[in-house]
Amino acid sequence: MILAAAMNPEALSGAEDTIARLRRGDPDALTAMISRYQHRLYRYLLRLVREPAAADDLFQQTWLRVMEKIGRYDARRNFEAWLFSVAHNLAVDSWRGTRGESLDNAGDSGESRAARLRADEPDALERLLDFERGAILAACLHELPAIHREVLTLRFEEDMKLEEIAEVAGIPLATVKSRLRRALEGLRAAMQSRRPGGRGA
Amino acid sequence: MSEHESMKELLALAACGALDAQEQRRLAEHARECPACRREQEIWGAYSEGLRRLPQPPLPAQLMERTRARVWQERATAADRRWDEMMLGALALFAWTVGLTAWFVARIFTGGALVIMGANLVRFGTWSAISTVLVWLTAAVAALALGKRRRELRRAL
Repeated sequence: MILAAAMNPEALSGAEDTIARLRRGDPDALTAMISRYQHRLYRYLLRLVREPAAADDLFQQTWLRVMEKIGRYDARRNFEAWLFSVAHNLAVDSWRGTRGESLDNAGDSGESRAARLRADEPDALERLLDFERGAILAACLHELPAIHREVLTLRFEEDMKLEEIAEVAGIPLATVKSRLRRALEGLRAAMQSRRPGGRGA
Repeated sequence: MSEHESMKELLALAACGALDAQEQRRLAEHARECPACRREQEIWGAYSEGLRRLPQPPLPAQLMERTRARVWQERATAADRRWDEMMLGALALFAWTVGLTAWFVARIFTGGALVIMGANLVRFGTWSAISTVLVWLTAAVAALALGKRRRELRRAL
């Protein structure tokens, strides 16, 4: 429903108007924009940093940064991609600040899991009911490296195009594709390791 | 690499919608003939569908209200800071102008010579040096006082 609203031409022209008002520092425009994006932005940040308190703080910082930079925002760019790239950069800075690491190597263990994947094994996913499957899939997503969680949530939850993901994460299109593939393979390996009697379960 | 192996490489990407038209066509043609790849395609499709329907995390309490309040508070602080800096600059300029005007007045009243401790204070160079030092010392003290007040206000908030 949120996506449908975002794709509606009237909603888009409304968004442009709201952005124009945001540039003028209109408090109602800020309220409208936060209200429009809060669920998606918070979800993205939570998937990225995993801790609700950190996601909450980054969410607030993102809007502070948006208000600082909205004057320099190029209206020809996709606002959503710009907003999420602001959030991405703040998350990367916060990660560097607190752990002295970059998002790129934050807990990256996806390769080893992916290496354990065997395509001919019966898949755990088939045997799970919808609700349980969602919860377990979310838990497995939680275990993936940050760079993999990020591309998966942007592609599947935010329904962003590959070009938009590249813009948000500041990486080439080819890297987006390879990250998506590795992320999915890592997720599948994590699911398989959770099945009863599975490796690493 | 065999055709089957190279198609297997594309299956996860296909689930992400990341194949170009030619790759999609090749994969579809191969999958028609290959039950193993069709099965894999279904599995990756289930992952992609599952990811689209993940449980949504609840928003923290009053996230929007807190964000809005923080944004306006930061903007008000920044506006205060700009105002303080502008006022400080304007006052320093005013003080310096007053000092210069006073030089003309002092010259008229003293006839161009006011010697204290061997220095003629109404010489332009001496006068402007003393007034400039005094003005900027006062500005520095005012800036320190403003900064201290701002820190106290921030702590109080």
